[in-house]
Amino acid sequence: MVLALIPALMLSVAVPLVNRIEPRIFGLPFILAWIVLWVLLTPAFMYCIYRLEGRS
Amino acid sequence: MNPATIALILVAAIILGTIVFALAGVHRLRMTPTEYMVGGRTFGALFLWLLMAGEIYTSFTFLGAAGWAYGKGAPAFYILCYGTIGYIVGYFLLPPIWRLGKERGYLTGPDFFVDRYQSRWLGGAIAILYFFLVVPYVTLQLTGLQVLLTLAGYGAFNATATVGIAFFAIALFVFSAGLRGTAWASVIKDILVLGGVIFVGIFLPIHFFGSPAAVLDKIIATNPKWLTLQPAGPFPPIWFVSTVILTGIAFFAGPANLPAVYSAKSENSVRLNTMFLPFYQLLLMLVFFAGFTALLVAPGLKGAAADQSFMIVVQKYYPAWVLGIIAGAGCLAALVPASALLLSAASMISKNVLGDLFNIATSDRSRTRATRAFILVIAAMSLAFWVFKRTTMVEMLLLYYNGIAQMLPGLVFGLVWPRVNATAIACGIAAGLLIAIYISYVANLPTWHGINTGLFALAVNVAVCAGITLCMKKPLLDGPQHSAEQKSLSIPGRRLPD
Repeated sequence: MVLALIPALMLSVAVPLVNRIEPRIFGLPFILAWIVLWVLLTPAFMYCIYRLEGRS
Repeated sequence: MNPATIALILVAAIILGTIVFALAGVHRLRMTPTEYMVGGRTFGALFLWLLMAGEIYTSFTFLGAAGWAYGKGAPAFYILCYGTIGYIVGYFLLPPIWRLGKERGYLTGPDFFVDRYQSRWLGGAIAILYFFLVVPYVTLQLTGLQVLLTLAGYGAFNATATVGIAFFAIALFVFSAGLRGTAWASVIKDILVLGGVIFVGIFLPIHFFGSPAAVLDKIIATNPKWLTLQPAGPFPPIWFVSTVILTGIAFFAGPANLPAVYSAKSENSVRLNTMFLPFYQLLLMLVFFAGFTALLVAPGLKGAAADQSFMIVVQKYYPAWVLGIIAGAGCLAALVPASALLLSAASMISKNVLGDLFNIATSDRSRTRATRAFILVIAAMSLAFWVFKRTTMVEMLLLYYNGIAQMLPGLVFGLVWPRVNATAIACGIAAGLLIAIYISYVANLPTWHGINTGLFALAVNVAVCAGITLCMKKPLLDGPQHSAEQKSLSIPGRRLPD
């Protein structure tokens, strides 16, 4: 649960904190790059949770 | 042949081809209610993925995402965030619901409420509420369809009649094919939409400006504020956060979502789907690129016309067959989710209202037949609603999300808090809806002090529901997990041959 909160918070409450254009990453403004990064990382987090659940 | 004819013939061929393909997929199946409404609970992870993606990513997602990127800029990014959060919530919420659904034979969303809270009235009320939310959502898809058909006809013909024909065709299709038919249709829809989005999101920027990054450079150069949230604008950061949270947690509370979950073969296919659906979200980033490109190539579209952004570019600069294929993909993205919505609404009315409340059409055969009849009735109502009242679309969508979000306490508390009962849930929903309607229509405010209206209404809902639960005496009868002996009490015709 705690692990799942990380990407959820990064995609909601953290977005106003990264509300700027520089530094650009692969041409994306920073805010969009940040969101895309966390969208990509979410399945990785969920996979970890899935593995941890499977063990218990 | 003139370009409009070519494009429209392609659109028609794509729609008809998809229908024929999907009908072949369900050929010779016996339509018990379980098969008809939830695909016999046999869908593996991949097929479920196609169905879920088919339902979730509608024409409005694509046209609307581009339209927001075109007309509003950075606030559009919320679409990327909320879906992803929706999947995270779904990972925890959906597997237990699937498990109960399988054990206890749920067919519709309200079935969960009927069984968990031992109240047919609550289930019937929720079914009716969902029904009132489905009609505007379907009409939204009809507007998407009209936009696409008008563009494919190069504006030379009146699309209203064609929208009616296409919609009627899809209603007849789901009438005969059920949920499995929708899933097969999603196969073609997803492939075509993927191709179309890659074309408009990567090829268009490369064609006009060299690369997607160059498009962003140019946007930043012409309007430096466009790609960040503006605290002083109509969509400040607090709006962004509260909207992402509300729509994220309400993501799977829609009427067509739970039947899709029930259709899964195993708990694991549900879990795998919620884990990997976020990748699908990335398509939306390409849609933003398409919207930004359109803003540079064809500026000046205002209001609802912004939703046509990249389609206008395609229409203006590319041959008719390209336009036809992309418009055809878009039409499928309107029709496939519409078919799932019609089916889910009709299932709820026939099962939870007619069957549970009035004891009509409870045998397998008459239940499938009643559901089919309601599909046509709801389709006709949506069409009529659309013809007479199409101006208030955006309001309707807001109300849709604000409305479905109110179901959430019932789902979540139902799983984790045994003491909650039907009265508390019903009062919570009523309070939440009244607040949402009051803020949106009586006080006529777009947000509550910048906070998303639905989120505020949901908070009131939770407070009312929890308050009533804590004030009431501990009930004798708890939820299904605590009272196995009353298993056969509530839903007639529940244990169906699988």
